Amino acid sequence: MLQTAKYLLIFLCLCTGNKAFSQCCTSGNPFISDAEQPALQSRILTASLNYRYSHSGKYYSEDSRFTELPFQEVANSNYTELQIGYGITNWLTALTDLGYFFNKTLETPGIDSYKGYGFGDLGLYAKFNAYSNSRLRLTISPTVGVKFPVGVFDQEVENVQLPISVQPSAGSYRYLANLFISKGFGKVALAGFASYEYSQLIESENFYYKYGDQWIAALYFNYRPWKRFTIDLQVRNEYRTKSTRENDDIIESSGYDVVFFTPQVTYAFKHDWYLSAYGDIPLYKYYNGIQLSFGYAVSVRVTKKIDFIALMARKRSADPGGSESK
Amino acid sequence: MIVLTGLALLSACSKKDNSGPSSQIRIDSITASVNPVVAYDTSVITVYATGDNLQYGWVANHGKIKGSGITVKYSACQSCRGLNTITCRVFNETGEVSDTIMVRVTPWHSK
Repeated sequence: MLQTAKYLLIFLCLCTGNKAFSQCCTSGNPFISDAEQPALQSRILTASLNYRYSHSGKYYSEDSRFTELPFQEVANSNYTELQIGYGITNWLTALTDLGYFFNKTLETPGIDSYKGYGFGDLGLYAKFNAYSNSRLRLTISPTVGVKFPVGVFDQEVENVQLPISVQPSAGSYRYLANLFISKGFGKVALAGFASYEYSQLIESENFYYKYGDQWIAALYFNYRPWKRFTIDLQVRNEYRTKSTRENDDIIESSGYDVVFFTPQVTYAFKHDWYLSAYGDIPLYKYYNGIQLSFGYAVSVRVTKKIDFIALMARKRSADPGGSESK
Repeated sequence: MIVLTGLALLSACSKKDNSGPSSQIRIDSITASVNPVVAYDTSVITVYATGDNLQYGWVANHGKIKGSGITVKYSACQSCRGLNTITCRVFNETGEVSDTIMVRVTPWHSK
């Protein structure tokens, strides 16, 4: 029973792929840009705990830095996310994630500061093992999912509502679909990832706002120089269309196109524990109108993988007559 | 999953209590020092209300409110261009009343 509870707890605390925003301060969970993984095999569970720090401090207009504003604004967030994945069958993996912001801060140094905190959104996803060929080391894994705005929205400080950009939850449902394709060559693997996300209209007591659609395309290069050490290099393009507000008015200073470089290192410890570190570095930024642009993000992740079939087999081999003697 | 969802819902449900309307509070007016206001500039918003032991709550549907109490500062960035609504809620132990002021935010231009 205790053992089951332990695995359930781990299950509840760890696994999946990728969800983040390149804009400095957008409501809802950021995109966790670690290297995407294919669907899991049956009865394998992965659970991971991510921590992410992001910082923004430069305004952009189109693809150039915009320095004409008579003040400075800085945004940062400390964010953690629990991701869990479980291979229900060899072709279906269930994934979930839940985010929590320790802080989501927007400040003009020395003048004012807005700080939101609390739970973000809850994501539920189904990932399919559409094609897997171990001889060719080729996998194709499409995913569909929903993010539920279960966290804190309409947050107030001293009876004054925080701006939408520092609210922890997105405030509306988001629907996404993505495709991951991976091909191995010796010690190297190449992968591609494409994702689309549709945000529903935020229609709360105080806000009426719709984020634009988001498209993400990423290429991964994975290299394992040593048995326990892996290097991932990722180039990712995040594109978001313009937002809309009341009367379907288009918000001209919204939407962006950003290309990131995301290096990642992963060390595999004994007993299927993994430690990863990665960072998001923008290589190219294009922002419509005038917007505070994404600066950088650094992340660490701890992952535990449990293979229940191997676990049962080990248990049986350690106690071959166990069940009969009872 | 159930635990995760429960935790999240619990957090989402921890909102303030809503008070009913009060006949003992009256909002006389809400004023803005600058209207329309240029993006990234500031407008001072003031509420004039009568009643005992009044407290004040503020919400802007686009843009930021700084400060608290009778007078606050409203500012908005370029993405908040348009006609925006600022709502003031005045409340005490007898209940609450609320009123709004519309402030137009115009595009920022180089000077």
